[in-house]
Amino acid sequence: MVDKIFYFIMVPMVYLAFAWCAVGIMWKVVSILRLPKQTHTLKIFPEKSAAGLRATIEAFTMPSVRRHQPVLWFFLGVFHLGILGLILSHLDLLPQINLVSAESKHMLGNGAIGVAVTVSVLYFLLRRFRTPIREISVPADYLILFLLFLIFITGDTISWANSWNPDGFVLTKQDFGAYLNSLVHFTFTNPRDLLTGSHYVVIVIHVLLANLLLLALPFSKIMHTFFAVPLNRLRRV
Amino acid sequence: MDETRKQELIKTLSSRLNQAMRMYLDNCTRCGTCIEACHAYASEPDIKYSPVGRAQNIRRLYEKYFKGAGKLAPWLSEAIEFDDAVMKKVYDTAYTCTGCRRCVTYCPFGIDTQQIQSLAKQLLIVADMEPKVLSMLADMSIAKGKNIDKTKGSFATAVSNLETEVLERWRSEAGAKAVPLDVQDANVLYIALAGKHSIIPAASIMNAAKEKWSLSYFEAVNFGAFVGNPQKTKEIADRIIQEATRLNVKEVVICECGTAYRVMKYMTGEHPFKVISFIELIARYLQEGRIKLDKAKLQGRKVTYHDPCQLARNGGVYEEPRYILSHLTDDFVEMTPTREDNWCCGGGGGLVAMGEKDFRMKSAKVKVDQFTATGAQVLSTACENCHTQLSDLSEHYKTGVKVEYLSDLVSKALVQE
Amino acid sequence: MSDIAVAKILDLKGLPCPMPVVKMSQEIGSVQVGEVIEVHTTDPGSLSDFPAWASTAGQEVLTSEQNNGVIKIFVKRLV
Ligand code: HEM
Ligand code: SF4
Ligand code: SF4
Repeated sequence: MVDKIFYFIMVPMVYLAFAWCAVGIMWKVVSILRLPKQTHTLKIFPEKSAAGLRATIEAFTMPSVRRHQPVLWFFLGVFHLGILGLILSHLDLLPQINLVSAESKHMLGNGAIGVAVTVSVLYFLLRRFRTPIREISVPADYLILFLLFLIFITGDTISWANSWNPDGFVLTKQDFGAYLNSLVHFTFTNPRDLLTGSHYVVIVIHVLLANLLLLALPFSKIMHTFFAVPLNRLRRV
Repeated sequence: MDETRKQELIKTLSSRLNQAMRMYLDNCTRCGTCIEACHAYASEPDIKYSPVGRAQNIRRLYEKYFKGAGKLAPWLSEAIEFDDAVMKKVYDTAYTCTGCRRCVTYCPFGIDTQQIQSLAKQLLIVADMEPKVLSMLADMSIAKGKNIDKTKGSFATAVSNLETEVLERWRSEAGAKAVPLDVQDANVLYIALAGKHSIIPAASIMNAAKEKWSLSYFEAVNFGAFVGNPQKTKEIADRIIQEATRLNVKEVVICECGTAYRVMKYMTGEHPFKVISFIELIARYLQEGRIKLDKAKLQGRKVTYHDPCQLARNGGVYEEPRYILSHLTDDFVEMTPTREDNWCCGGGGGLVAMGEKDFRMKSAKVKVDQFTATGAQVLSTACENCHTQLSDLSEHYKTGVKVEYLSDLVSKALVQE
Repeated sequence: MSDIAVAKILDLKGLPCPMPVVKMSQEIGSVQVGEVIEVHTTDPGSLSDFPAWASTAGQEVLTSEQNNGVIKIFVKRLV
């Protein structure tokens, strides 16, 4: 029974989560695109040159946060770059993609990215328990951060547990690559046959939580990923 | 609150959901960066007066009716339904927001709290809870547009009675009208406010520049915008647009009134004429050498300048007032912060018209600290609403600072050859 | 015009926008229906503002007169 559940989480649910997330995002974006456009300008003056480019740069570098909340800005930078790094490092596990050498046993960043995002998310979470952020936060704000925290901490555990064996790696970049490769080729191989480490349960929990994040994502505030640039354009263009 | 009213409120909310509004309501991460931006919060830290605190009231209603998550699991986003208690909160947070948009410059996404509060104000109209004084003023402006022909005569008499006072500031050539009305093909249609203090200085300056100008029968301020009623905002602006079109003027020049300028220039579509502020016109006269100013008038007094939010941050007029001041005095000092970071005076959004003296004085403490820190004796500005609020502040906090209209300073310093 | 019986005189000279009409709308309740308030102002705009306000508020502007730069407007409370 447990095996069946583990299999479900590790294979079919991953497909479901990705499909759901992609459809959800598209539906959200299209539903906004179909609304009437703003008729009068919402620009802030003075006008800036190359306004469109500037809006894009501002969306990614958040100069107003740097100015008014430098500590938050630092962790936001670490966190968002970390997320980008994590997406890349997960893709890099695939044998077809080699950002670090295919022979390397480590994931991109050797686990440091995971620690960086874990610390950042802890900072966001703690901050939310303090005045005045506490007063404006809603339960969803804590939950999404808590979910991220759990995903990151299980990820950290996996990368740490990989080196449990004094002779080297329990599981390597190649082992995880084989699992992901079976996913992208829809072979429906039982991941337990590819991932033999004793911490398999932690991997399953990590994937389960990531699935949950993907399922929730289109309805969460992480959708700001897709609207940060258009929003900044309203202020500039 | 009965069901029909609820439905009307939901409909109104829905009618305002264009792309921008949806993105504003969907994407706040509640990071709190904007909290410190609001003068009301900075003066009296109470989260309900923070930009995000104000917006959350509307966002929670929106979540309830327009988001799946808000319908299925309202506790997640603290989604709420319309009821009387909520609308009271909405009132409290909408009519304490001056619409200065300082918070827009703080938010990493540029979420526009003024837009959200303008939606809030529209909901209050539907709930029949808007400040009646603002609706009354908006209705008056519209009625004035319809009945103007009946009162044109007495208005013309009153305007011609201002002649002596205009001539005291600038002696025009004999025969020229000091305050011309109904001038066909004028270069400038000047839109004043009701009071003579918004007509006399401007008249003397335009006469000094030998401008072909005409005074409008209408007042510049748009109370439709204050009360958040798009329909009335448009009707009020249309009166002026029609007059300008009838007279075939080149430029419509808005007196020192920030909202009037923003509404006419940016919020009422394309016009067959240019819209500028009177401040821009004065700067042009100085640049072209059409008027000259005497710095002796302000000798010995340090001068600072308050950027009206609707003219500067939301209208783009920054350089002109400073250019004018450089012709008025050698002893000018900027406030800190200044320009787009300037603190709001705390009187916008209809607060001055509503009275609200207590709140206005308390919520603008940062403004008082800011202008007293300059050590200036003269605080100049270019908006009647700011002028009233700043004068009230100066008096209330006994700062001894004299608040002056820029146009008044210019008109008193005109050099007659 | 001084043959109009005036119940109250309101001095609204020199007030900033939009206080004259605001004050008027507040003060109208302080006289009885049928009584007249005499408003003193220096705002040319009041000559159009007060009749427009009266028409929306259901009150009546009886007449106005101008002397030495002071504008007097006579407003009768109807409701
Ligand atoms: C183009 C991509 C993105 C941009 C421009 C962007 C921008 C921002 C900005 C401006 C903030 C606001 C500051 C704050 O909330 O404290 C923020 C917060 C946040 N972002 Fe992103 N983001 C992007 C992608 C992502 C992605 C892919 C994730 C996925 C995990 C993410 C997760 C978060 C979270 C959880 C917060 C909130 C932190 C908190 O609750 O305090 N963002 N982001
Ligand atoms: S627009 Fe101005 S008054 Fe309103 S919330 Fe933003 S900072 Fe405060
Ligand atoms: S700064 Fe913007 S995103 Fe952050 S809480 Fe304020 S409105 Fe929301």
